[in-house]
Parts: sequence; C-alpha cells; structure tokens
Amino acid sequence: MKKRFDLAAITKSKLTWAVVAEVLILLVCLIVRPDFFKISYQESTGMLYGSLIDIVNRSSEITIIAMGMTLVIALGGTDLSVGALVAVSGAIALKFLRWDVLEYTTPGDYTVCSYALVLIVPLAVCLLMGLFNGLLIAKGNMQPIIATLILMVCGRGIAQILTNGKQFTTGYSPFRVIGQGSFLYLPMPIWITAVVVAVVALFVRKTAFGTFVESVGINRSASRLSGINAQLIIFIVFALTGFLSGISGLIYSSRIMSNDSNNAGLNYEMDAILAVVIGGTSMTGGKFSLAGTVLGSIIIRTIVTLVYYFGIASEATMAFKAMIIAVVIVLQSEPVRNYFSKRTKKRAYAVKGGIIE
Amino acid sequence: MADHVLLEMRQIEIAFPGVKALNKVDFTLHAGEIHSLLGENGAGKSTLIKCLTGVNKKDGGTITLEGKEIQPQSPQHAIELGISTVYQEVNLCPNLTVAENIFVGRQPMKHGQIDWKTINRRAVELMSRFHLNIDVTRPLSYYSTAIQQMVSIARAVDIQAKILILDEPTSSLDDHEVQLLFDVMNELKKEGMGIIFITHFLDQVFAVSDRLTILRNGQLVGTYKIEDITKVQLVTEMIGKDIDTIFSLKRAEVAENEKDMLTADHIGAPEKLDDISLCVKKGELVGFAGLLGSGRTETAEMLFGASKITKGEMTVDGKKAEIKKPYDALIAGMAFCPEDRKRDGIIGDLSIRENIALAVQARKGFMHPLSTKEQNELADKYIKALGIATPNAEKKIGELSGGNQQKVILARWMATNPKVLILDEPTRGIDVGAKAEIQRLMLEMCGEGVSVIFISSELDEIIRCSNRVIIMRDREKVAEVDGATCTQEQILAIIAEGSTAARGEAS
Repeated sequence: MKKRFDLAAITKSKLTWAVVAEVLILLVCLIVRPDFFKISYQESTGMLYGSLIDIVNRSSEITIIAMGMTLVIALGGTDLSVGALVAVSGAIALKFLRWDVLEYTTPGDYTVCSYALVLIVPLAVCLLMGLFNGLLIAKGNMQPIIATLILMVCGRGIAQILTNGKQFTTGYSPFRVIGQGSFLYLPMPIWITAVVVAVVALFVRKTAFGTFVESVGINRSASRLSGINAQLIIFIVFALTGFLSGISGLIYSSRIMSNDSNNAGLNYEMDAILAVVIGGTSMTGGKFSLAGTVLGSIIIRTIVTLVYYFGIASEATMAFKAMIIAVVIVLQSEPVRNYFSKRTKKRAYAVKGGIIE
Repeated sequence: MADHVLLEMRQIEIAFPGVKALNKVDFTLHAGEIHSLLGENGAGKSTLIKCLTGVNKKDGGTITLEGKEIQPQSPQHAIELGISTVYQEVNLCPNLTVAENIFVGRQPMKHGQIDWKTINRRAVELMSRFHLNIDVTRPLSYYSTAIQQMVSIARAVDIQAKILILDEPTSSLDDHEVQLLFDVMNELKKEGMGIIFITHFLDQVFAVSDRLTILRNGQLVGTYKIEDITKVQLVTEMIGKDIDTIFSLKRAEVAENEKDMLTADHIGAPEKLDDISLCVKKGELVGFAGLLGSGRTETAEMLFGASKITKGEMTVDGKKAEIKKPYDALIAGMAFCPEDRKRDGIIGDLSIRENIALAVQARKGFMHPLSTKEQNELADKYIKALGIATPNAEKKIGELSGGNQQKVILARWMATNPKVLILDEPTRGIDVGAKAEIQRLMLEMCGEGVSVIFISSELDEIIRCSNRVIIMRDREKVAEVDGATCTQEQILAIIAEGSTAARGEAS
C-alpha cells in the first residue's frame, strides 16, 4: 500500500511532461526519417554512428554548462556570462596552442607549449571569472542577472584582445580528441559530459551542498539565520558554473579546431537556462533536478535536429525552434499539469468507490 | 438590523487526501455583527475561510449570501461577490505608495489616464476614517506594520464589501493600534457590514465580538453569544481538555551562585541599539518585555550575530565569543528562533526533516553530510517529542499550521543542543494549546541547563515563565525586575513612563 503507483503525482511532475515531450518529438523525427533510430558501427573510427548518438553528442556543451546553471537557478539567479566564457576558454586554448608563433601560417599537428597548459589555463581563467561573478553577487549583493551581464558583454571583448582579433586554427591531434575523438564506441564529449554530470551530481547530492543551495534559494534570510554561510554557497555555485563553461569551451573549440570569439558559445546562456527550465527547475529558485536538466538539454538538441530534418530554411530555424519550445513549456505549465493530475485523481477515487479516507 | 442573516454556510464538508478538514460545519453571519471564529491550529478555521473566499473547493454543503446560493471560484470572484479578506501577513506591495496600494487594479480614470488627484484625495479620506493622518503618497514600506495592516483593511473596505474577514489582524499590533482597529471594526459594523474575526487573543474576542463560533478538529463545537460564555469555558471547548492540565507550568529553579552562561558587556550596533549589557545564568529564563520597536528584537539579533555588533564584548559559557555572523553564534552554542517565522525561520519548500536537520548540518558544514538515516532519526525524535502534527517527516514545512511550523523551528535548534536559546515571539499567532506546549518546552530546556532568552508581547506569559524580566523602552534597557515577584501593572508602569512622548513621535 505504501509504495503504491501514484498516477496523480506522476502526472503532476514536470519531469514526466519533459519525457512526454521528448518522446513526441522523437516520434515526429521517426515519421520524417524512418531510419532515425538506426545506429551503425564504423570500423575505421571505432565509433557508433546514428542520429540519437549525434543528438547526445551535440548536446554536450549545453548539458555541461546547464549543470552549473541548474544550481544558479536553484539559488534564484541566472548566469548570463556562460556563453562569453565559452569564447574566452576557446580563445585562450588556441592562443596557447599557437603561443607567439604567429609566423606559422599552416596549422599542423604540433603545440608550442606544454599541452597541460593548453587545458589548465583556460579552465583556471574561467574559474576566476566565475569567482568574479560570485564576488559581485555574494559580497556586492548585486542581482545575478546584472552582475553576470558584465562578463557577458565584456567576455567576448577579452577573447578578442587575447587573440588580437584573429581566428587561429590548429591541427594538434591530442586537442582534437576532446571534441572529435572517441572512447569505447562513443564520441568523447559524451564521456566528458557523463563524468561532469556524475561528479556534479555526487557533489550536490552526496554532500549537503544541494540542500544548502535549495535552502538559500528558497529563503536566504532564514538559511543565514540557521547558520548556513550563504555567501560561500553562492561563491561556489558561480565559480563552478564558470569552470564548467570553460570545459564546454574546450569541447567547442576542439570540434572546430579553432577559436571564434564572435560565435563560440553564442546564445548558450539562453539554451542552458531553457534546459534547466524544461527540466523542471523553477526560475524562482528552490528545488532543482539535475536529471531533468540533462533531459532538457537533450530535448533542445532533438528539436534542432528535427528542424534540420524537416529541411526548414535556415532563416526560419529559430522561429520553428521557438514554436516547439513554446509547446513543451505549455505542456509543463501548472494549469495543464493540474488538469491532468485532477483527471487521474478523480479516476483513482472512482476506482476506490469515491471514498476519500 | 442584527437579525438580518447575511451569510449562511450549511453542512460544509471539505476533504483533503487523508483528512477530513471540515465535517458538516454550519456557520451564520448576521449583518452588522462581529463574529469571532475560534479554534486551535488545524481546527478548520482557515479551511472554512478559504472555502468562503474560493481558495478551497467544498465537497459538500451550501453557501448562501443574502438569500442567494453562491459558489466562490477564486479570491477574485469572492471579492466581486462582496467578500473581502485581510490576511495576517500584509498582502500589499511595499514599493507602491499607500494610495496606489488602495486602488491598484481599479484606478479611477479620467480622459484615458489614471486620475491621480482622485486617487490621492480618496485615499486621504479613507485613511482619515481610520483616524490616520498619513502621507498617502509615500511608499507603503515607509510605515509600520500596523499602518500597513490598516491600509489593507482600507482597501478591503473600499471595494464595497458586505463581509469583511480579518484573519489574525492584531498579531503584530500593539495595544493602542489594536484599539484603533476595534474602533474601525465597530464603525463598519454600524454600517451593516458582517465581520468575521479570527484571532488567538481571547481578550480581544471578548472585547469586540457579538457572537463566536468554535471549531475543533474540523467539527463545529457550537456558536455562542458573547455574554453566554466565559473565558475558561471557551478555552476548554477549544482544546477539548481541562484548562488546568495545560497551564500547570513551573518556573525554572536557578541557584544563586549558578555560573553565567551568556554575558554581553555594552554591546551596540549602529542604527540598531546603542548600548546594552546583560547576563543570563545557566538554566535561567530571562524575559524581555517592552513595546514593539523598543529594541527587544534588535538585542536578540545582535546577540546572535544577525546584525553585526561594532562595540562591546560577549562571552558564552565563560569563553569570549567573537560573533560576527549567525554561524559564529551557532558554533558558540547559541540558537535563535526569529520573530518573523515566515521570513526568517522556515524554508517553506523543504521537508520537515530537512528543516529540522538544517542547523545541525550547517554546524557540521556541507562536506560532512548527515546520512538520511541520521536525519530521519532527528526528525522522528523531535516530531514525537514536540508533538508536531504531521503524517510524516517528508511533508513540506510550508504546508503546516503556524504552531507546528514554530515547533519545527524549535526542533531545528533543540537538535543542536544549544547552551543559550533566544526565542523572539515564539508564541505569536499560534493557539492556546500550542502556546502552552511551547512554554512547557522552554521551561523543560531550562531544567536541562539551557539558558533561555524569551521575548514576548504578552506580559502574562513573560511573568508566568521568567526568572528575571528585562524591560526595554526606546531602544534602551530601562529596568530589570524579578520574575517571581513582579506584576503586570508594575511592568506596564515602567514601560509607560515617558513613552507617551515616544508614541506621539512614532505615529
């Protein structure tokens, strides 16, 4: 009796409707392209290929950032700087791959400094920028949306300055592995994402950090009066989000083996926020769901894929994407969920003979 | 006039999954009467009101307003029907002006533009009906809670209400302000309005109401004329138990030479309190008396590090304590139940279990989490010890009644095994039964050697529990009297001395 299958609670959960939305979109994809679910193995690369794998692979950048964004939103804030940080991370990585050897004109399979630096410095800088966000918000008491606007605007400028406004390319193969390599049949970004999701989830749920984030997000004053160091929590969350943007930037620039200060991570902040919201975390802060966010990110990528498959003109892509997202969000809205939840509840009572004990 | 039935609720039934919140309750309200609705927390008062205001849908019964059957669908709908509600917490926008708050959503228009002149003029008229001469163009947040309360009543009255529901309107008002509110209520009553008054202050029930209805556990106990019932009868009916069994409290016993647990030596913070010194012995209960804004809460906040002190020194358990933030106070062995439970106490969307474990967890730091098992043990222990009424520990604290929320906050701090416990208005807005229980818990903790600082606006409970009473006035400690021998009149006299001048300034 205790662990009864509670249909009403399931229909009330936002996550359920995210799953429903994803299944629907996939079904449409399947109708448009009957071979949509086909996965094939290519021996030359040792990788599995197929639309589904591609969707998960291409959602990596957003999923990684959205892990941090989930916590930011759970605190009741938003981080607009993540897209710019992606550009900064790529710019620094490429700068280090080239390291003052601008006379080389052809990209080749070489690096001019330690490969470790190529990876560590961008991540460290993004971490620092995240800390800067945290400092403004926790100590300066600025609203997150305003504080992170600063780096959103000037981040790309910093990326431009770092690379003297140039777009570098590289052919260094260890760097290529990050975004284009594979491991155990799957593309490397999927593995990186899996590790990031696992580490964040373990950190958040196996320590009391997640509870503290929710607590501060729901009621900062009461949390502080209960002895929680709210400033520290805010600090950590924004620093983490910066760091994750850095990882995302490395994957992005490895995919194109280049830096692109103007387009790298463009609109990522919006996609990441959207992924979090579709995943069932409320913008007002409080309870959050990391699993929901992963699903949200995959939904966004599935929609993009669907748009490609429909062969929609590139000018109309954004509008089409927006339309589907609107439908998904309406499906998840409170009145709709309540409607279905009430219907199932009534049915459940009817089964029990209308007795509410 | 008084016999004209305005509202009739018959055989109202409301069921929530697992509980029957209201079971065949009848309630009638006459035009031109003040009708008090009484009962312990969870007795069904709020549910009945919510049914009337369209928040909860009824599962059975009928509501008739002036002879016509009505089905309120939403609070907005209820207002259109002529049922206005003023809630305990002020439901207004602090950043709008007083006048804007009164007319928001129904601004008078002139030439397609908002007619500010009329708005401000009518706002002034309305407020003067309440004998308040205030600048209606100032933002609401500029004024005290009492005046904000008046503004929300003014708003409710101005929308041509037939029925006015006042849900705990007096819990944040002082005596003078309460009298002001009663005058207004009596005036409205004369105009034929039916007023439903919900309060936990029994004196106020007797001071102002014509009739009263008592609910217990979702059942109607009865409706009485005010002259037909005594206070003792009323309490007995409300809790269904004999009053003596719950009011047998014993003051804590403190030896003369008991060691000092908490001392504060001339502490102060800018814009809060200039200078205060105090000392609390081990196992002693020190009461804080004084009017709202006299510096009681400020003192508590300074002691606990909620506002940083800039001068003076404190010791806890003989050791010098540098308290800059609540965390420092927690580490030093202090605990603090703040005055505004909703704003500073509960984490509404978290479960009872998480709320109880919060302070213990905060002390350990997030890298050393309590296991789910440990959290459950804590939660179960205190749910049982404090008699928190809930089906399980996973219920959200926000869904509990006020008294139970307060018990959870108390549990949060008891779980840290504090040496010093500061309680700011722990019994405000909760019913007689829960009030007595919280007083009992307080005294039990004293018996276990915990030092308690108890702040309350109700002098009788301060006198009943305290070993010593510190009296505050105008942000200063003005006197300290012995709790066992002092009387209410004595304390009132000390508070009143020179405070008339201060009141003129405040209003």
